[in-house]
Amino acid sequence: MGVETIDPAKQDPRGTPEQFEEAVRIIYAAIAQLNPQLPKEQQLQPSPDTALYGSEGKLDSLGVANLIVIMEPTLEERYGFKIDLTQDDPFSLGNGHFRNIHSLATYILDLVLLHTGTGS
Amino acid sequence: MKVLLISNFNIQNLAQLLSNDAREPLATVETAEFGRGVDALSIPGMTADFAFVWTLADRAVPSFNRLLNGERGDDGQLRDEVHGFAERVGAGASRFRALLLASWVLPPYCRRRSITDLQTGRAKNALMRMNLQLAEEIASFRGVHLLDAQEWVGAGGRQGFSPKLWYLTKTPFTSAVFEEAVRDIKAGISGLLGRSKKLIVLDLDNTLWGGIVGDCGWQNVRVGGHDYVGEAFADFQRSLKLLSNNGVLLAVASKNEEAVALEAIHLHPEMVLKAQDFAAWRINWKDKAANISELAEELNIGLQSIVFIDDNPIERARVRESLPEVYVPEWPTDPTSFASYVLQMPCFDMPYSTEEDRLRTSSYSSEKVRERLRQTFNSQDQWLLSLDTQVTVENLNAVNLPRFVQLFNKTNQMSLTTRRMTDVQVLQWSEKHNARFWTFRVKDRCGDSGLTGIVGIEINGNRARISDFILSCRVMGRNIERAMLAVTVEYCRSRGLHDLTATYIPTAKNKPCLDFWLTSGFTFDSATQSFRWTLDKPYPFPRGIKLTSLADGQSPPPEWEWAVRSSAEKLQDNGAETSQF
Repeated sequence: MGVETIDPAKQDPRGTPEQFEEAVRIIYAAIAQLNPQLPKEQQLQPSPDTALYGSEGKLDSLGVANLIVIMEPTLEERYGFKIDLTQDDPFSLGNGHFRNIHSLATYILDLVLLHTGTGS
Repeated sequence: MKVLLISNFNIQNLAQLLSNDAREPLATVETAEFGRGVDALSIPGMTADFAFVWTLADRAVPSFNRLLNGERGDDGQLRDEVHGFAERVGAGASRFRALLLASWVLPPYCRRRSITDLQTGRAKNALMRMNLQLAEEIASFRGVHLLDAQEWVGAGGRQGFSPKLWYLTKTPFTSAVFEEAVRDIKAGISGLLGRSKKLIVLDLDNTLWGGIVGDCGWQNVRVGGHDYVGEAFADFQRSLKLLSNNGVLLAVASKNEEAVALEAIHLHPEMVLKAQDFAAWRINWKDKAANISELAEELNIGLQSIVFIDDNPIERARVRESLPEVYVPEWPTDPTSFASYVLQMPCFDMPYSTEEDRLRTSSYSSEKVRERLRQTFNSQDQWLLSLDTQVTVENLNAVNLPRFVQLFNKTNQMSLTTRRMTDVQVLQWSEKHNARFWTFRVKDRCGDSGLTGIVGIEINGNRARISDFILSCRVMGRNIERAMLAVTVEYCRSRGLHDLTATYIPTAKNKPCLDFWLTSGFTFDSATQSFRWTLDKPYPFPRGIKLTSLADGQSPPPEWEWAVRSSAEKLQDNGAETSQF
């Protein structure tokens, strides 16, 4: 029997619309900090569909690592606990958490809701 | 401009920040093969305009790594390894215009704090000695400049290191540190290219002192004393004095009654800057942009070399709009920030500080004396004769090289070809068997202008070509130009050469050079913009100028006997003899 895989990039947003939008804003702010460290052709636009990593993404593994390092302190400050964005192998193309901004915001809220006991 | 980054850690983030940085000079950036460290300097074909080398000490110096691990150290071996590192840097530097080297810092992933840290034999103690040794050793290499990486790490603070970034990517510092490095790399390169700012034009009220002198009187302006704001203004003036001692001119553009403002400068007992510290001033009720333009013309300094500091945002905006070439920084509102703010500005960075820099302000005072003297004569010739000008000719040597390079790269108006070269390139060019560089020092009864002239020639067969003809604007129009040509022609005649040529390469600023050459007596070919002197005849030496030495120690020709100072005069001067290199 096959295991159903869920493509995070295509999941419904987690949490309330306001919570989701806030997570997206945090990602946009991190992208603004990240862009000066990227070649001009790799710099990212603040849009939910912006591809980050993977077959359609512009970031390489260094770019993903930089994004993680920029985001984690902000997430901790906002949500009040340490969020480890590397715990599910961010460089794996299989899990898709870093595929685009939508999927990343979904992943972040998954972690937050899990921590607060309201996630599945 | 191409910059090559060399490191023994992942330096890609710094490379991108430097590449994307919009401040001048813009850079295209390449990185050497990851992890090669300074060995990359020996890879054939690895060239760029500038190189920047930053290594982690524990990876570059094995003895230091052992100290970090708590093992016993061997001082001799540590010194040998640092020496070897310096030698590899020095050997590799010659293929670049200049090489910037970052000092060593304690690796952030090895940081611990202990009461024993600075004891002899401990890593931190060793690191300080390693950096001092590095600074001493690279001082012997032309074109290598040590940057203080501890400044960048300190500025980055706790945000400067991310363990996760290190373990994921082998990047030891975050952008908080790298951005500080980019600032200093750009400032250093800008200084090496001769683009550092030369003049600060200052407002007075609430900029140089607290209060409005026209309202409160000089006795009540806040400067110095036991008043914390007054102390801040006094320290700001000390910061400006420090910059002035390193060759930056100071001037004033203030809306005030001149007599009232000058009274404060003369009489306030706590005023640090005195009238003689300012090269010029415009204290009146005119528009400040117009005043700054007049100051630029009086001091013969391009607008792009000027910084304007004023507490009033409206005045700043006005000058930015009218004179976009002038740099007008946003200025802090809190005077306790002024002193540190001006010293942190990267636009004054200069790779060398010379005696001419230190005396620059007084040379402008001397110029005013000359000008007053000129007014008393009916003719230019009589005035020039009255100055008792002395010119000292020297070959390029190790002592005059810093000032040579500074003059070579900064002069625009009286520059025949406006070539630009770093000290390394100057030395390489001068070591060619058929090339010569001479310097000309000028002084007169009004003051010493220092090294203000350069001639470079290249000889091919029986012909010579002037590759460089440079004169500081401060001594233009006093026949120094003709003295330089006379010395050059005489040298070529003594070598039995046939003719001497020079080609004018026009720029936006060097028309005064063409104007001189058109009156020089050399034959002009307008098709090629070239000038020619056939060496069967001497070049007339200008009257009123005395030579204290000649190129390559030659005896002067008979017709110049009146131009060369007598032995008695030399003895009176207490050793004004110059040494030939």
